[in-house]
Amino acid sequence: MTIRFVLLSTIAGALLSQTLPPTDSWPTYNGDYSGRRFSPLTKINSSNVNSLSLAWVYRINAGGAIKATPLVVDGVMYFTVPDHVWAIDARTGREVWHYTWQSKGGEHIGNRGVGIYGKWLYFETPDCNLVSLNLSDGKERWHKTICDLDQMYFGSVAPVVMKNHVIVGVSGDDLDIPGYLESRDPETGELQWHWSVLPKPGEPGSETWPNPEAMAHGGGMTWVPSTYDPELNLLYLGTGNPQPVIAGKARKGDNLYTESIVALDADSGKMKWHFQSSPHDTHDWDAVQTPVLFDGEIKGEKRKLLAQASRNGFFFVLDRTNGKNLVTKEFVKTNWAKGIDAKGQPIPNPAKEPQIDGALVTPNQGGAANWPPPSYSPQTGLFYINASRGFSVYYIYDDDDKPEGWGGNDRGGYAQSMLQAIDYKTGKIGWSHQWESSGIRSGVLSTAGNLVFAGDPANNLVALDAKVGRPLWHANLGNAMSNGPITYELDGKQYLVVGAGDTMFGFVMNSK
Amino acid sequence: MHSPSRMLRSVALFCSAALLLPAQFPDAPGKEVTQKVCGACHGPEVTVSKGRTRQQWAETIASMVSKGAKATDTEFAQVLDYLTKTLPPKPSVATARRPSAGPMDVHIVDPAGADRGRSVYVAECVTCHGQRARGKDDTADLVRSIVVLHDRYGSTIGPFLAKGHPLQSGRPSASLTTQQVADLAHFLHQRVADTLRSGPYSKVLNVLTGDAKAGAAYFSGAGKCSGCHSPTRDLAGIGAKYDPPTLQQRFLFPRAVGFARGGAMVQSKPVMVTVTLRSGTKVAGVLDRIDDFNISLRDSEGQYRSFERTPEMKIDKQDPYAAHNELLDQYTDKNIHDVVAYLASLK
Repeated sequence: MTIRFVLLSTIAGALLSQTLPPTDSWPTYNGDYSGRRFSPLTKINSSNVNSLSLAWVYRINAGGAIKATPLVVDGVMYFTVPDHVWAIDARTGREVWHYTWQSKGGEHIGNRGVGIYGKWLYFETPDCNLVSLNLSDGKERWHKTICDLDQMYFGSVAPVVMKNHVIVGVSGDDLDIPGYLESRDPETGELQWHWSVLPKPGEPGSETWPNPEAMAHGGGMTWVPSTYDPELNLLYLGTGNPQPVIAGKARKGDNLYTESIVALDADSGKMKWHFQSSPHDTHDWDAVQTPVLFDGEIKGEKRKLLAQASRNGFFFVLDRTNGKNLVTKEFVKTNWAKGIDAKGQPIPNPAKEPQIDGALVTPNQGGAANWPPPSYSPQTGLFYINASRGFSVYYIYDDDDKPEGWGGNDRGGYAQSMLQAIDYKTGKIGWSHQWESSGIRSGVLSTAGNLVFAGDPANNLVALDAKVGRPLWHANLGNAMSNGPITYELDGKQYLVVGAGDTMFGFVMNSK
Repeated sequence: MHSPSRMLRSVALFCSAALLLPAQFPDAPGKEVTQKVCGACHGPEVTVSKGRTRQQWAETIASMVSKGAKATDTEFAQVLDYLTKTLPPKPSVATARRPSAGPMDVHIVDPAGADRGRSVYVAECVTCHGQRARGKDDTADLVRSIVVLHDRYGSTIGPFLAKGHPLQSGRPSASLTTQQVADLAHFLHQRVADTLRSGPYSKVLNVLTGDAKAGAAYFSGAGKCSGCHSPTRDLAGIGAKYDPPTLQQRFLFPRAVGFARGGAMVQSKPVMVTVTLRSGTKVAGVLDRIDDFNISLRDSEGQYRSFERTPEMKIDKQDPYAAHNELLDQYTDKNIHDVVAYLASLK
């Protein structure tokens, strides 16, 4: 059986109803297409997690922090930092190969990892290239330009592979540029379809912009991996903030389809529906947080659901077949919305837009959530998110009638961090574990072993009881956890792997 | 003997090799702490591509804190000293650093060229494209122009103008000299750079919009500030010590990184803690670090003490700024602006 067949069949199978993701691999950014980051493995569980041992450490020695969620296929792990890809042995941490891209520039803030199709690997570079490598030796096969470096776009997202599509997104918040998502041919890298976040004049959504100039430069970056439902053949994407980011004077209106959860046909890129998490955002609260797909019951009705804990502090549950809103609820207290409209979207309070003399706003620019991936456990029905409640003051720096680029920013402040376990049926907090200090941005993993793994602000990797939120085990990694944890089983042993700063840590359960 | 072509090739090789070296923080005292604090989130190239004044670096650090940067006050002060010393404002085109975003071969603006270019712009372009080159209803926004963004020293602006484009003076655009085109390119690239986060206009304009009398009333009334503070004692002269934007930040977020006029680091007051052990023994001091599993402190003699947390242990934290933090859920923006006006009047 080829790897490709294994991959495609196991991933597709993982999404059908409540069947479970693969256990001997971690073949996509989120482990499967659903974005749940839930593993059915139980060899590490709430009874024995205290015996979890360090198996290996791999230090990249290349600078920067590992923000990539590693992929594991056939016992080998693949991950990135900007301009670098590594293959290491998933059992031992031993380096198999290391590829370095010779950069022509671009923002090197982070890279979320790779996508894999058959024997090929794909990743994006800060200087706007999609690169395909041979999985076995890391040799380059081809590279294709996917954005314009001169407009200060850059690549950071992990490509997602579905069917014969490599889905690539773009980043860039410096100048005022249009966001888009593309599908590329996995064999050649050629364009299959291009979906523009911003409508063209006359198209639906164009009525939410004051003029074609603002709309053509309205932002909406696509910098976090999509999720995918093979039965509906829809991919789900959270789009970024409108631009100019903070100074929104010359882009009055809701600014579709920025700050939205959109469903696109995987084969054509045509949009089927949208839901806007933050109409007319002026706080840099991009709505790119993973749209997590699961099936559940709301008000007695079985539904195909999609949930997002958004950077703006609101938790949304939608019917993923049609985008209809079912739940909108704060997962941390906020002060920027006047209420919720008939579509379930928050209504921004104009007084809390950035002001020349400052407006005190919560969440702060970092957001109640950010790119680090959340997790949903079908076992507990809880949605886990490493959240932050921060305050800052938002200022307008450029009082021109047509501000451009950044024209404002926030300063401050004060924050608390907590792991929130949200009941998806109501959006109410099932349990909340407040960390003793603030500032953490780590991803979350839940497992059928009644465990949630998350980073705390004091550099600990912490395992908590998934039902009640009690901390059970920790290891201080010396740096804050900087990616989403993964787990897999090889030779009958369950591994847990996390990145913290420039180091990857492999833990294993040795006891039976 | 090297032939000229070989020499050129080795120069070219040397240059490209230099470009490919990973960016590093310059060696100087404070490098290690800067790597630790900034490197927790991003690589050094994000930082070392910038050149800033002490005040600008202070603002950068404050902004990073709101995005999650973590360090002690002392460490932030060391980072500020280090960045101020090793990464000063770009003094000239020869030593200019490129922005962290965009290509490595970006157009480096020569300020003198941009000044000359401004004259060309005012003479030939400003009527249609506007003071800030952002265009008007029916004219192109030059800051967002692909022709400008793809340009290096006139490489695309030159051919565009050579094809013919209306100028204010009525002269043919092709008659602009190579020098004038290059200067115009410097001026336009400077306009682009000014819109970036690191641009010269990234500063608070005016926070003195409140009513000082209403601020005084809030201070001794609903805000209960007068319970701890006095305008004639601890806050005497506070309006002279801090500029108004810093005043605003300091009372809202007293633990956030703060800098007095001139850039001196303001030390915030530590959290005090008393740990009561199972035996009943109490150990008190300055909280060093706490998580779900361990706590450490410096006792009154400066001794470092560390404990594993147990269910039997009692921990009593005293944050001198607790009242400030609680107010964040109570202030209106008007309260804030009034208090700033009041504090600024305490000269």
